[in-house]
Amino acid sequence: MVDIPHKLPAVAPSTESALRVRLRRVRELSASVLANPTTVLGFVLIVAMISMAVFAPLITEANTPDPYQMPRDWGALNEPPGTDGFLLGTTNTGGDVFYGVVWGARTSLRLSLIVVGITVLVGVLVGSVAGFRGGKFDEILMRLVDVFLSIPELIFALAIAAVLGPSFGNIILALAVVFWVKYARIMRAQVLHVKANEYVDSARIIGDSGWNIYRRDVFPNAITPIIVQATMDMGHIVLVGATLSFIGLAEAGLAEWGVLVSEGQAGISAGRWWASTFPGLMVFLWALAFNLVGDGLRDVLDPRTETAR
Amino acid sequence: MTSVGSHPTETGRRDVVLAAREVAKHFPIKEGVLQRVAGHVKAVDGVSFEIRRGQTLGLVGESGCGKTTLGRVVAGLSEPTAGAVLFDIDSETLAAYDGGSSVGDIETAHKVDALTGDAYRRFRRNCQMVFQDSFASLNPRHLTIDIVGRPLRVHKEASGSGLTERVVELLEQVGLGRQHLYRYPHQFSGGQRQRISIARALALDPELIVLDEPTSALDVSVQAQILNLLHELQQANDLTYLFITHDLGVVRHMADHIVVMYLGTVAESGPTSAIFENQHHPYTKALLGASPDVDAAEEFTGLEGSVPDPAHPPQGCRFHTRCPVATARCGWEVDDVVRWIEDEPGAAGRLAGVKRDSAFAAELAFDDAATAAVVVDAIRSGRIHASMPEAVLKAESRDSRVDVEFGAVPDVELSVRGPGHVAACVHESLLDL
Amino acid sequence: MTESTMPIASIRDLRIHFRSKAGVVHAVDGVSFDIRRGETLGLVGETGCGKSVTARSLLRLNPMPPGIHAGGTVEFRGAGELPVELTGVDESTLRAIRGNRIAMIFQDPGKALNPGLTVREQIAEVFYQHRADELLDDIGLTDRAGLVRTLIAREASLRSRWIERGLLRVPPLRAHRAALRRAVDDRVTDALAETQIPNPRAVMDRYPHELSGGMRQRVMIAQALACNPDLLIADEPTTALDVTVQARILDLINDLQRRHDTAVLYISHDLSLVRRVCDRVVVMYAGKIVETGPTEDLFANPSHPYTRGLLAAIPSASHQRGALAAIEGTVPELVDPDPGCRFATRCGFATPMCETTDPGLAPVAADHEVACFIHHPVPGGVGPAYEKAAT
Repeated sequence: MVDIPHKLPAVAPSTESALRVRLRRVRELSASVLANPTTVLGFVLIVAMISMAVFAPLITEANTPDPYQMPRDWGALNEPPGTDGFLLGTTNTGGDVFYGVVWGARTSLRLSLIVVGITVLVGVLVGSVAGFRGGKFDEILMRLVDVFLSIPELIFALAIAAVLGPSFGNIILALAVVFWVKYARIMRAQVLHVKANEYVDSARIIGDSGWNIYRRDVFPNAITPIIVQATMDMGHIVLVGATLSFIGLAEAGLAEWGVLVSEGQAGISAGRWWASTFPGLMVFLWALAFNLVGDGLRDVLDPRTETAR
Repeated sequence: MTSVGSHPTETGRRDVVLAAREVAKHFPIKEGVLQRVAGHVKAVDGVSFEIRRGQTLGLVGESGCGKTTLGRVVAGLSEPTAGAVLFDIDSETLAAYDGGSSVGDIETAHKVDALTGDAYRRFRRNCQMVFQDSFASLNPRHLTIDIVGRPLRVHKEASGSGLTERVVELLEQVGLGRQHLYRYPHQFSGGQRQRISIARALALDPELIVLDEPTSALDVSVQAQILNLLHELQQANDLTYLFITHDLGVVRHMADHIVVMYLGTVAESGPTSAIFENQHHPYTKALLGASPDVDAAEEFTGLEGSVPDPAHPPQGCRFHTRCPVATARCGWEVDDVVRWIEDEPGAAGRLAGVKRDSAFAAELAFDDAATAAVVVDAIRSGRIHASMPEAVLKAESRDSRVDVEFGAVPDVELSVRGPGHVAACVHESLLDL
Repeated sequence: MTESTMPIASIRDLRIHFRSKAGVVHAVDGVSFDIRRGETLGLVGETGCGKSVTARSLLRLNPMPPGIHAGGTVEFRGAGELPVELTGVDESTLRAIRGNRIAMIFQDPGKALNPGLTVREQIAEVFYQHRADELLDDIGLTDRAGLVRTLIAREASLRSRWIERGLLRVPPLRAHRAALRRAVDDRVTDALAETQIPNPRAVMDRYPHELSGGMRQRVMIAQALACNPDLLIADEPTTALDVTVQARILDLINDLQRRHDTAVLYISHDLSLVRRVCDRVVVMYAGKIVETGPTEDLFANPSHPYTRGLLAAIPSASHQRGALAAIEGTVPELVDPDPGCRFATRCGFATPMCETTDPGLAPVAADHEVACFIHHPVPGGVGPAYEKAAT
């Protein structure tokens, strides 16, 4: 360590208020996130892909009755990209690749939001109780976590989805069952770490309640790695979901990138590269974008760099 | 200071703010997959003292002596394994408690870990704490106003603009001001952060503040500022301090009464002047001898060896393993022989096993008869310690085995050495040693 | 000057700056002093005064970047060697000096020792690194030529590859390798015994975490002094230790220093220790030297207001409670500092000219220099004085 003297900011103006200081802090944090060009790239990609998902019905007309099913044109099989009406070509069953790419974004967004939402919620809850309360619950949980972590996540998810039967809903369920453990473990470790700080003791000394201490001291200081992990998992889960769909665990004909790649792979040897490539590229970009942003967040949210101790 | 708020305190008139009686705190050592308890670290092992209103009690000792653990027990952060911490009690009641009368009633009314409801809240308001690490003791995501105002919010004493004004008042008391309200802890220097910690501790107008090494992480020039501030605040607010530190210069300056701890127990306790002018425990003397005074150029000396494992504290006097004036009555035991063997080039590694009957008697098995003979000779000749031959009842070798037995010695009790001055040493005085 | 009276190291106008978010921090800003052969020089000051950065520049240990070498020289004159300018030498020369001619012990031995290596391995590495030739001497291989010698020499200087190590397991090479091991063990044992560690042979096979703080510090000292360096840098070597252990460690350093005629640069914030340990003292404040002199003279006649303030701030029996002479305020920011005296903002005697003109070091007595206008002829103006402020 180099002992650099402490930086003291200039005297604050008298119009200062807690709200302003916090807003400024948020501005500073976002500015430092956006100072990194690769994070910005990831951010732009995410915005683009999410817009695509949200505005899917405006970009291509929704298929009826189920918009998540690929529209089939049996009169236009294996059309190459650029064919009139099929920007990215069609599959060997007449599916519009462009439709699959656009609505696949919607499927992916739905998948990742639901899975990350459920797993973060459950994981944070379980990890918090285990770490903050300790005792028997903690011990049982940690044994359970050990069991979960000794099975590769993909194989575990695959087994569950296979038992439940092929459907996209079951993929969501399987991923949720597998992924919450990771969050529980991270949260528990974070809570234990934060709890050892003397500001938690200080809060107990002034007589604050356990819930308040959790809410005000423990949670806000423990949650940043979860945010980073969740961001990364937004990408990772689509990757795993696509893998499960690819091996046939989703409904046939679903507008989903993994299903599409699977449908198109047979044609690759015959030179029909487009049906697999475009959805495959989307999976790659989706995962990449969230990873870039997750990395950027980690650098900024790391309390060591944040507080410049 | 402004009004005390909606919870009128009954405290404030009794002369002993806090008394510890035979307080012990043991931490279990867990081993193996099943987390079986394999033993206990006796961090604090039977400590008694009392702090009178308006006074400062200094708790001194080296790392691992249990002073910080004791501070946390006193502040109610952890429960004692045994003994009692009694809060706000008058001398007569305390005398009655010590005499064994109406112990149950007194504990219900004063014992910190037995208090409930309003009584507990009263204790919580009136006993605050300041930690060594000013960085770790302030939530990095909270602004000064949140940190200092939090006790007032928790006890519903102020809100809105009233709270802001009250916080400004507290900040001014510790030498900060309105301009510091909306800053994060990392924007302050170490000394300023410690001032914020002190302001938070003052917020509820407490009677007792436990100060755990409050200046150890600070530079001397800043330490002087903080010590002056603590003294001013004590005068202005009639505060009582429990000042925990390893720095004898600081404790001499701040404390009225000093408790010297070694390995979880009290070695010596007495008025500051008595401790500094007439030590009755060799450990106190060693501590003083090792702390150089900048005004004087005298030589300073240290101690041999290191602090023993608190899971297996030495018998008799816990200091006997390092004591320069240890005698045959100080608790020589099997462990002392074993420790010597481990450090003796000719004998180390040749000890095959120890079969203990007690801490004082055991059968030692060696790889060869020669080593056994060497060890017996070392015990008898006083090579291990000059006073050991006098303490040993039996030291005989049978081939490669050694039977050794020392006279059992009870723990050395504290005995009175002067007004309010006690020490746990077998020597009447250290003056002619 | 003859070699024996030449200082072992001379730092001249050293400037080390650090890039930070707020700007360039002038952590060390024009520091000059000598370390004389065999002396103990105390480098004293509070957090952020630049004492550690200054000392680390002797081993070029400051991270660059963010550090910037903004000027000045560090000249080192090892016994019987040509002077080396340390800020400019190449890495290999520097490596040959580090741990060999200049060694360092740190505040926290728990962090400075590798937790994954035994005591034997930590210390043996120093010998392999710097004493490979002598090790060959020890096992009588110096005069032999050929493959055996080459292989063992490579092994001794930690340069052997896996295939060579394989060869070394085959007789007759195995015997030589075993002899090498024994030779290193002997040296490690001697090094540990020097630091009065009881039963060094047993300690050798322990890991750092199995030792007490005092023992770990002894191991670090053994490692630092293994090659009998000309200069030992001791950065707060006892701050992490208990007081009863501290005295022993300081005695030990002192004793070893006398026997080997090593110069010690002793970095500390604790004036009372410096008073006991050092021959001369350099007091730093905010990146500059404010006072330097022989220990006795400096403590008897502290001449800079900062030195006086530091001494008065130490709690002692003579102080009334609550009346410690605290130095008010905090260390100034070192981003683009003002041209004047850096202590002016906290100094009770400061005059307007102190804020605009840097006093610079000037002698007040033999070997005793102070950077304060109270003691200087003032260039065209009235300077500060102790008497004036007292009234």
